Amino acid sequence: MCRKGIVPTRCAMAEVFYLDGEAIPFRAGQNVLEAVLEHRQESSIPYFCFHPAMGSLGACRQCGVMVYPHDGKHPPRLTMACLLPASRDLQLGRAEAKVQHEHQLISELLMRNHPHDCPVCDEGGQCHLQNMTVASGHAYREYEPEKRRYQSQELGPLIRQEMNRCITCYRCVRFYQDLAGGEDFGVFGSRDRVFFGRLEDGPLESPLAGNLAEVCPTGVFTDKVYHQDYLRPWDLEESAGICPHCSIGCNTRPGAARGHLRRVRQRSHGEINPHFLCDRGRYGFRYVAAEDRPRQAQAGGRRQDVDSVLDRLAARLAEGRSAFLGSPREDLDSNLALFALARVLDAPFAAFFEPWEEAKAREILALPHPPAPARISAYAEILVIGAVERVAPTLPLFLREAHDRGAAISLLRCLPSPLTALAGEDRLLPPADLLDAAWEWLGQRHHRPFLLLIDSESVGPELLHLLRREIGTWPDGSGILPVYRQGNLPGASFYAVDGHASRLRTALAGNDYDHLLALGQDPQEMDGLWWRSHGDIDLSLIDHRRSLSWDDVWLSLPCAALSERSGLYYNGEGRLQAAAVAYTPAREERHWRPELGPFPLAAGGALREELLPSPVELCRALAERLELSERWQERLRFYRDFLLRSAPRPGDPGVFLPEELRARFRLHSAPPPRATDQGWSVCRFSHYSEEELANGARELHSLAPASAAWIAPGQQDARQVRLRAVDGTSRTLPLRELPDMAAEVLAIPRAELVFLGLRPGDGVNPEWLD
Amino acid sequence: MRLWHGLLASLWTTLRQLRRRDTLEYPEQQPKLGERWRGRPILTRDPDGEERCVACELCSAVCPTHCIALEGADRPNGRRFAQSFRINFARCIYCGLCEEACPTVAIQLSPEFAFAKTERGDFVYHKEALLIDGTGKHPEYRYYDHAGVRTQALPEPRNCDPRSNLP
Repeated sequence: MCRKGIVPTRCAMAEVFYLDGEAIPFRAGQNVLEAVLEHRQESSIPYFCFHPAMGSLGACRQCGVMVYPHDGKHPPRLTMACLLPASRDLQLGRAEAKVQHEHQLISELLMRNHPHDCPVCDEGGQCHLQNMTVASGHAYREYEPEKRRYQSQELGPLIRQEMNRCITCYRCVRFYQDLAGGEDFGVFGSRDRVFFGRLEDGPLESPLAGNLAEVCPTGVFTDKVYHQDYLRPWDLEESAGICPHCSIGCNTRPGAARGHLRRVRQRSHGEINPHFLCDRGRYGFRYVAAEDRPRQAQAGGRRQDVDSVLDRLAARLAEGRSAFLGSPREDLDSNLALFALARVLDAPFAAFFEPWEEAKAREILALPHPPAPARISAYAEILVIGAVERVAPTLPLFLREAHDRGAAISLLRCLPSPLTALAGEDRLLPPADLLDAAWEWLGQRHHRPFLLLIDSESVGPELLHLLRREIGTWPDGSGILPVYRQGNLPGASFYAVDGHASRLRTALAGNDYDHLLALGQDPQEMDGLWWRSHGDIDLSLIDHRRSLSWDDVWLSLPCAALSERSGLYYNGEGRLQAAAVAYTPAREERHWRPELGPFPLAAGGALREELLPSPVELCRALAERLELSERWQERLRFYRDFLLRSAPRPGDPGVFLPEELRARFRLHSAPPPRATDQGWSVCRFSHYSEEELANGARELHSLAPASAAWIAPGQQDARQVRLRAVDGTSRTLPLRELPDMAAEVLAIPRAELVFLGLRPGDGVNPEWLD
Repeated sequence: MRLWHGLLASLWTTLRQLRRRDTLEYPEQQPKLGERWRGRPILTRDPDGEERCVACELCSAVCPTHCIALEGADRPNGRRFAQSFRINFARCIYCGLCEEACPTVAIQLSPEFAFAKTERGDFVYHKEALLIDGTGKHPEYRYYDHAGVRTQALPEPRNCDPRSNLP
C-alpha cells in the first residue's frame, strides 16, 4: 500500500502524462489518480477506496484506465489508476467504450447489495457512491436477487451505522486503525459477509471517530447529531469557521439553515488540519443549543430586560469601583472592546483570574514561533509531556505519521495514553517530576532538530520557562508546541499579561474596588478558593454559557455565542485566523402575517431572529451610557490598528503574531512550583470531550465519565476520598481505578481542582473513606 | 351544380353542430379533468394508510420557484416522515417537477386548479392541508417494499452473520 504524507511535499511540477490526450502534470511518487485529482476539481476517473490521507488500496476496482504501452508490441491493458505510478509520457485512455463499460460493470457490482434507500439516507446529496454511479453511467441492474442484510450496530451518540449500505472499500477501518490508532473497531467476516464494526455494540472510543462519517464514501457511517436537525446538505449555508475548542485552531465548515446550526465539518488547512477534525471540534458546536443556555438578562437571579440591566451596570461602572476580566476563550475583538472600556475608565483589567495561569500564558506567548501542527510529522525526535491527546485530540494523527516515518517519540505522562504504542521511551511519572524528566531527556545529546509537545494544562509555568530559555542551544529548527483548551489565549492576553492578574486581585481585595465585570470567564470556575474568601465582591457576567455562578451573581448578561458572530482567534502557534458568522439564530413562524414584514421565504413562513447582542455591542452600549462612546471607539481603533497590521479574512490561511510582540514577554523568571512533600500529589484528569464550551454539547458530553478521583489499581481499597482545601472546605469524591497511570497520583477533574484551590503537581493528604 | 353541392354540404355540417355544446356554465358546472391534469399538489398515503413522504427533500430541491420547504424526523420504528411540510401556492407554477422527482410517489398533482385567497399568507399550505387519506394515482405502491431499509412494518429478514465461517 502506498501512503501519501499528510503534509504534501512541494517540488517542481515538470513532467506530464496524458489522459485522453490531455497533459496532466504530476510529481515524483504520485500515482495517476492522485495526479488527476490534484489537477482537476472533479475527477473524470471514478474511485472509492483511494483517500489522499490513506493512499491507495485497489480494493474497489473502480478507477480502471486503459494503458497504451509505448513499445507497439503489447496490446493496451486496463489498470487501476490508483495503483499505477505516474510516469513521464504515459498514454492513458478513460473516455473509451471499453473503459466505460468496465466502470459500469463495477458500479453494478457495488450496487448489487446496496439498498435503494437514498431518499431516507443522510448521505444523499453528498454521497460519493451516488456521484460515482451517476458518473459511470450505470442505472439498471440486470440481476436483481434478494439483497444482503446485516444487523447494524449501535455505535453511541455520535455515529450511526447502517451496514447494509457498505461497498467494502475499507476506508473506515484504514482510517480508524491505521491513522487514528483506534483498537475497538475492525473488520470481521469473509467473502460477501465482510462487516465493519465493533466486537459488540457501544460508543466508539476514539476521539476521532466522527471522521468516519466523512471518510465513508456512502451512508454506512452517518452523523447522528446532524441527523437530529437534518436538512439536506444542499440546503445548508456553509461558512468558513475556526474551531474554538482548543489551541490548534482547526479550520471548520459550519453548516446552518433556517436559523439553526446543524453540523460542523472539517475544512482543510494544510498546516493545521489537512484532512481530519476531532469529535470535540465536530460535535462541540452543540453548546449553542444547550437547554440551559442563558437567554435572559438577570439581576440577582431575577429576569430583567437587557436595557435596565445595562443601565444598572453603567451606573455601577460610573462609580469607578469596578475591575474588568477578559477571557482567553473569547475572540480578539470582544476582549479588545472590554479592554478599551477598562482603559477609558482607568480600571484594572486582566485576561486571567489566576496569576499562575497568567504566568503560563506569558511563557506560551514568549515561545519563538512554535511549529505548525501538521509539521509535527516532519520531526525525527519528539518529546511529549503530559496528556496532549486529551487536550488536542487531532495531535495523535500527526504523531502517528511521524512514528511511521521513523521518528523517535518519548513520552512523559501521568495518565494512560494511546500514544504509548508509538513511544520508544515511555515514562510514568507524578506531575512534579515531569520537569526533571524533561531535563534529563534534553541532556541526552540530540543532533537533529527536535520538538517538545507540551500539555500546558498539566504542567506549571516554571517548566515552560526553563525549557524555553534553552531553545537557543538546541539544533536549528527545534521548537516547543504547547497545547491547551482555550481557543484564543494569545489573543486575549498579549496586551494584558504581565502581572495584571495579581494587580486585579490586589485591587479587588483592597477597599477601592468592589465590583468585577467578567466576560466569558467565571472567577468561581477559575479559582474557587480565592473567590470564596472574597464573598463581598459583586460580580457581573457577560457570557453565552451558564457558568457556575450565573444564577447567583449581581448581574448577568447573555451574549451571542461564538458561532453567531464573526471573530478573530490566535491559535497555539500564534496564527491569527478569522471565523465568519456561521448562522443567525432564528425561530420559524408557522404562519406569516403582514405584521411580520415582507414575505421572507420563498416557501412561506417567516424567520424571527433571536440574536443576542455580541460582547462588542454590549461594551458599546455601556460606553454610550457612560457618555464615553467616542473615547472608547478611539481606543478600540488604536489597539486594533496596533495589533492587526493585516487582519485576515475568513478562509485565509492566517497571519502570525509579530515576533517583536512575542519578545516583550521574555521575562527572566517564572513563579516556582509549590513545594510538594513526598507522597500523594494531584494531576488533572480530563476526557477528550471536556472543554468549557463543549461541555454544553449534550451528545458529546454524554460520553464523559462522571466526576471521580482516579488512582492506579491496587493502591487503595477505599471507595471514596476526601480532600481538604486550605480554608477547611472539603470535597468527597468516589474513587475509581485507572489502569496504567502513575502511582501515588490522584487524577481529579478541573472543577474539583479549582474548588479546592489545587494545581496539578500539588501535594495532598487524602483521607480514604469506605 | 357542384357549387350548390358545396354550399349545402358545408351548411349541413354547420347545422349538425347546433346540438353540441363544449362551453360549460363554469363554475356551476365543473369540468371533468384528466388524471394527469397538473393542479394543486397533494401528499398521499400508501395502501396501509401510512404517510408516503419520507422527507427526502428532492421536491424542494427540484422546485424551480423554491416554494416547498420541509423537515424530516424519525418515527420510533425508524420510518422517516415529514415533520413539517409547506408549499407556498402563491409561488407554485404547477410544473409537476416535484411529482416527477418524488421517489415515493408521495407528492402528486391533483386536478384542483382554482383557489383564490384574499390574504397572501393563506396560500401557504401546511402538511395537514396537503395530506389526503388516499393513495392517489398509484394505489399499490409502498416505498419501503423496495428500499431495503427495515421498519417494523416489514417481516424480519434473514441477517447475514459476519462471524459465520460457512462457505
